[in-house]
Amino acid sequence: MSEARKEILKNESGNTEIPVIELRNVNKYFGQSHVLKDISLKIRKGEVVVVIGPSGSGKSTLCRTINRLETIESGEILIDGVPVPMEGKALAALRSQIGMVFQSFNLFAHKNVLDNVILGPVDVLHRHRKQAKEEALQLLARVGVADKAAKVPAQLSGGQQQRVAIARALAMHPKAILFDEPTSALDPEMIGEVLEVMTSLAKDGMTMVVVTHEMNFARRVADRVLFLDGGSIIEENTPEAFFTHPQTQRAQDFLNSIKEH
Amino acid sequence: MSIQALLTQFGDKYVQALFTTWKLTATSFALAFVLGIVITVMRVSPVRPLRLLAEFYIQIFRNIPGASLLILLVYALPYLDMIFSYYTCVLMACTLIPAAFCSEYLLAGMNTIAPGQIEAARSLGLTFLQIIWRVVLPQALRSSVLPLTSLLVSTMLTTALASQVPLNPQDLTGLVSYINTHAVGGVTAFFISAALYCATAVVIGQIGSWIDRKVRILR
Ligand SMILES: Nc1ncnc2c1ncn2[C@@H]1O[C@H](COP(=O)(O)OP(=O)(O)O)[C@@H](O)[C@H]1O
Ligand SMILES: [Mg+2]
Repeated sequence: MSEARKEILKNESGNTEIPVIELRNVNKYFGQSHVLKDISLKIRKGEVVVVIGPSGSGKSTLCRTINRLETIESGEILIDGVPVPMEGKALAALRSQIGMVFQSFNLFAHKNVLDNVILGPVDVLHRHRKQAKEEALQLLARVGVADKAAKVPAQLSGGQQQRVAIARALAMHPKAILFDEPTSALDPEMIGEVLEVMTSLAKDGMTMVVVTHEMNFARRVADRVLFLDGGSIIEENTPEAFFTHPQTQRAQDFLNSIKEH
Repeated sequence: MSIQALLTQFGDKYVQALFTTWKLTATSFALAFVLGIVITVMRVSPVRPLRLLAEFYIQIFRNIPGASLLILLVYALPYLDMIFSYYTCVLMACTLIPAAFCSEYLLAGMNTIAPGQIEAARSLGLTFLQIIWRVVLPQALRSSVLPLTSLLVSTMLTTALASQVPLNPQDLTGLVSYINTHAVGGVTAFFISAALYCATAVVIGQIGSWIDRKVRILR
């Protein structure tokens, strides 16, 4: 962990601290199937939490409930201590404070890279277009795709598209960014460039929830690892402790299964 | 009569009729386009009554023959104390039906958009209408240029309904009936009108493919 991040965590570690994201006894069903089971979770400012677990364990659903892309049946979700609104403008306003990066990039196919990045700032935050463009170009430079500003998504590689998606999230100055398997759709040679950008965000103190199977990234960057199975948080630990001494058989089995590949 | 003789005698009227057909076509297509967009937005809106209303509209106007609709507008509306000019009745018939088809094409265009893009827009904090306006409609429109081009042509052909009511100046089809009651134009009179319809359709088709090539979305 970098010095800057240690500072942030230290400053924020009083008991009165309000978590950026808090889930209280969250339950989610898809029809009959109980997909999130009584999840309680606090994510502090500047923290990087990696969520791992087998396919179908509810990792994506967990991410998506945080900004209410999925509704929940019971429990509470708070952003900076404020309950996530049910719907309408208030919900939209809250969503603008939480960035999201998807497995399949989800860039707007009809807009060039620059316009993808400024859509949120201009339409949601009502920033001046010119200002938004200047900042977008800086963000694109930061993620290493400044030269692609005028291209449309289909002209970019997967790694480049995902970096644009990260710039698009950053342009909203979010309180936290949720990453749902950001490198799973990428060819192996492009995974590194995306993880590098994410690592630098973490160093700069961004609050991040990252669903990933990249164990090296988790070890190097995460402050905490959550192991999800069958919709419950089975284990929660520092990466070092989790990877070297998993407490449960299920976590052990899962780690073995991904090491084999 | 020969084409030459017909054109000498009725040339001016053909020009007027061509302009009437063009004007009816352009006006009703423009209105149908706007109405089609409104109905499509209603169809995908989160408000159930709006969705039902829009589906009801589609079921009615996609399935009613133009001539029946025109008769209803001309003869039934006066019972509701709504009296419109013949021109307006034709315009309404040529708007209400194509609007239903326009909506069908736009909806098909919307279905080509990856759902992930909508989720990305929602997670940026865009509202429903912003998502429609900024993300969904631009892509739906750009991927339905060719069907909408065909719709413009078929709207033009629908305006031949104008021949069923007294109009002055008449449209291309109405003029043929006029000529055949005032002179013996025969099949030649039809031929000239048909040629003008075809020529217009060819130009529309060319412009449509040109626009489609310009705006097509790379995927
Ligand atoms: N839209 C949906 N409708 C019904 N079931 C769903 C839906 N999305 C996910 N599920 C189910 O919820 C469970 C958790 O899914 P997900 O959160 O995507 O898991 P993960 O991301 O860990 O692979 C799975 O059993 C999946 O089949
Ligand atoms: Mg998933």
